[in-house]
Amino acid sequence: MEERLYDLIFICRPATPEEEINKIVATLEHSATEHGGKVEKTEKWGARRLAYRVEKHREGFFVYMVVRGTQGNIIKELERRLKVSDAVIKYQTIRLDEELKRQQKLVHHRERRASRRPRKQAPPAPQQQVPPPAEQTAAG
Amino acid sequence: MSDQPNQVPPAAPEAAPAPSTPRAEGHPSGGASRREGFSGGGGGGQRREGGPGGPGGAGGPRRGGNRQFFRKQKVCRFCVERVDLIDYKKVEMLQPFLQERGKILPRRMTGTCSRHQRWLGEAIKRARNIALLPFATEL
Repeated sequence: MEERLYDLIFICRPATPEEEINKIVATLEHSATEHGGKVEKTEKWGARRLAYRVEKHREGFFVYMVVRGTQGNIIKELERRLKVSDAVIKYQTIRLDEELKRQQKLVHHRERRASRRPRKQAPPAPQQQVPPPAEQTAAG
Repeated sequence: MSDQPNQVPPAAPEAAPAPSTPRAEGHPSGGASRREGFSGGGGGGQRREGGPGGPGGAGGPRRGGNRQFFRKQKVCRFCVERVDLIDYKKVEMLQPFLQERGKILPRRMTGTCSRHQRWLGEAIKRARNIALLPFATEL
């Protein structure tokens, strides 16, 4: 099966103690491995101002994770866990691998195009001739 | 007596319209092209201006320079920087493409190409969903 890559961001209440956040991250990692996936990266962005009020909070503790998996089940399970936990006020999962594939394709195309015609890229000599007669005829 | 007043007025209008008609033509054509340029967006604007500007009056484009018809051609910022993926997590990068109230700026204002505008819109909507960007600014 093809591998899938996901971005997972969740926001905790600002008053949540650090240990509880660590606990949530640990359970997510555990359930990811249980479903044949893997958490590749975990970043704590810390307390940030929210762009709008979420459950009457103006600030939130952001945690960002990158999850690799082979099935959609893994996301289903992770989102269920986030939904259940009280400390989490918002979460979002985004599938990234297709976009990364598109990006690689574009980079590849560009490299090929650059290698195909390296000489033609020299800019043509600037030919700037002021045409005074043209102006006169147009005015007349 | 009756002939004289009749003769004189026609002479004056005849003399007047001759020079005024090209100007009169020049005005509406200029206005139309300007409007088209606005609705057409960055890339297409210039080409379209060339079309109606030609027959409208040879003097049109040149006079246009003085009459603020000329606009600086906008270039897609992402194309210049060769961006292949717009990251929704980089809020500072998305912010210049939002209005004060949080609306997405149209292509005709920013000069973004259609492909990058599509990606940009998607990125902004993702950022909004996770409270990195506002849906609408509260006042």
